[in-house]
Amino acid sequence: MFINYLQSLPAAIAQGMIWGIMAIGVYITYRILDVADLTVDGSICTGAAVCAVMIISGQPMWLALLFSILAGMLTGLITGIFHTFMGIPAILAGILTQLVLWTVNLKIMGAANKALPATKFNLIVARLDLYKSIFFLALFVFAVVAILYLFFGTEFGATIRSTGANLNMSRAQGINTNFTKVFGLVLSNGLVALAGALLAQYQGNADINMGKGAIVIGLAAVIIGEALFSWMARNNFAIKLFTVVLGSIVYYIVYTTVIYLGLDADFLKMLSAILVAIFLAVPYWKKTYFSKASKKKKEDASSVKEAV
Amino acid sequence: MKLTKILCLCLTLVLALSAFALTSCSDDGKYNVGVVQLVQHPALDAATEGFKDALTEAFGEDVEIDIQNAANSTDTCATIVSTFVTKNVDLIMANATPALQAAQNATATIPVLGTSITEYGVALGIENFTGTVGTNISGTSDLAPLVEQANMIVDLAPEAKKVAMLYCSAEANSDYQVKEVTRFLTDKGIECKAFPFSDSNDVQLIATQAADWADAMYIPTDNTAASCAEAIWGAIADKKIPVIAGEEGICAGTGLATLSIDYYDLGYATGEMAVKILKGEANVSEMPIEYTPEEKLAKKYNKDICEAIGYDVTALEAKGYIAIEK
Repeated sequence: MFINYLQSLPAAIAQGMIWGIMAIGVYITYRILDVADLTVDGSICTGAAVCAVMIISGQPMWLALLFSILAGMLTGLITGIFHTFMGIPAILAGILTQLVLWTVNLKIMGAANKALPATKFNLIVARLDLYKSIFFLALFVFAVVAILYLFFGTEFGATIRSTGANLNMSRAQGINTNFTKVFGLVLSNGLVALAGALLAQYQGNADINMGKGAIVIGLAAVIIGEALFSWMARNNFAIKLFTVVLGSIVYYIVYTTVIYLGLDADFLKMLSAILVAIFLAVPYWKKTYFSKASKKKKEDASSVKEAV
Repeated sequence: MKLTKILCLCLTLVLALSAFALTSCSDDGKYNVGVVQLVQHPALDAATEGFKDALTEAFGEDVEIDIQNAANSTDTCATIVSTFVTKNVDLIMANATPALQAAQNATATIPVLGTSITEYGVALGIENFTGTVGTNISGTSDLAPLVEQANMIVDLAPEAKKVAMLYCSAEANSDYQVKEVTRFLTDKGIECKAFPFSDSNDVQLIATQAADWADAMYIPTDNTAASCAEAIWGAIADKKIPVIAGEEGICAGTGLATLSIDYYDLGYATGEMAVKILKGEANVSEMPIEYTPEEKLAKKYNKDICEAIGYDVTALEAKGYIAIEK
């Protein structure tokens, strides 16, 4: 029985890696740029739509994935323009782009749903061929992490990191923060669209509704990764990105476990929210109740009482 | 660090508990059937109910049915089907298109029966669909004959020159039905225009625009329209135009008349197909898609709406329409 449960984990790992790539995109905007980017609900479907349409029309896989990434980058550009050129607050800009993408995605697909049967096309990710999927996904994850590690180590990459760390200081140093924000959004949504393309292949369709709640899963993965695996990632950016993917895998293992146990699936959304809430609270609890600074505060308070 | 360790321990406990939580695990002579339903919805629920009843009537205690709901998330459909495949169930029932598509990409060996799916060729990406899928997939379709519905529009609203098609843009099944009905009506010389809405927030606005333009309206078997049928009626009541609905739920809220199918019966028929496959009497790759037989199609009309728009009830009854019971 336990063996049977363990057999369900490779599928969870595969799904976790797909959403892990998406979570890396969310990591770039949420942690590095300090911007809550809601475009992802739309851009994940854009990537899926472009990939589905290209594969169905007979284009090679690498071209379909490339165009998905480019389409995702365009969506990031739209949000960037809303936010920087038109001065709309980041969250609203993301929501507006999401609305735009609803129409765009419908027009790309020509319908609300496009089937991507693994039996008909040579897909690189499908439940039917799990070990081939995991191999390719691992390849993608490594490639993404390597490229991002090299990129954020360059001078331009550093300017993006500094924009998120301290906006005013960056501007004082002569960095064009508008440009770096837009670039960050472009990069992030390109990754999200890539994840969308892979997800469409895994779930067998590109559906207009597939992005709903994607940002929650992305954030959950980032936060779980930080909470559980930060001890691995001291000062190493590449490993930090890996922990994001690991966080996503953990999230999907829990998700698969809940479904495998046969628990009422209506509870899944509440479970996701509670999971994210707990993991968000962990660093806060660490700081308030378990760290040296808080213990010192308690000691000081009690010693003041004694003195009085 | 301490809290992290506690959480890791909890996770391990969950993994350990899972070993005890599973009672039956396949080799006990029972049939294991997995049902993946896209979303909680009266029509889909009725189909699942019918499917379950057909199986329990045939096998009694010897069948274990695991019903899972994907909360309208296509990603969750993939996860649910994945666990069914891992558990090596004997049959998977996929209720709604995204569930079927997830099943198609998850297994090529376990028999999959779809239900509440309008067009299998579109859902599975098969060109020139002949009626039999041929792989491990078969099922039932909720397609009420679109020709009959188009004829109904012409029959009940003979002076109508412009027909509006109201549906939700997020539903592929609705899009297909609208295209087909438009084709039939255009052949008869009637002008058709599509009025898609994106969700229940803009349905009233679009419905008003549609009712302003048209002499009659058609609403296909659209899940979103079914859930806000009363809202649609509120928007178009004063225009007094006849609305032909694709199924009874929509008709009860806003329609004049409908050619309805019973989703419970559809689910039951799917269950009967499943019984044949499980008993080994039939091979899933040879079973064609089944539709509701013509004698079970019910011509129904909504009495209150008839009176509200001043439509002659006796004429309807003379044509064989039955009033929808409240």
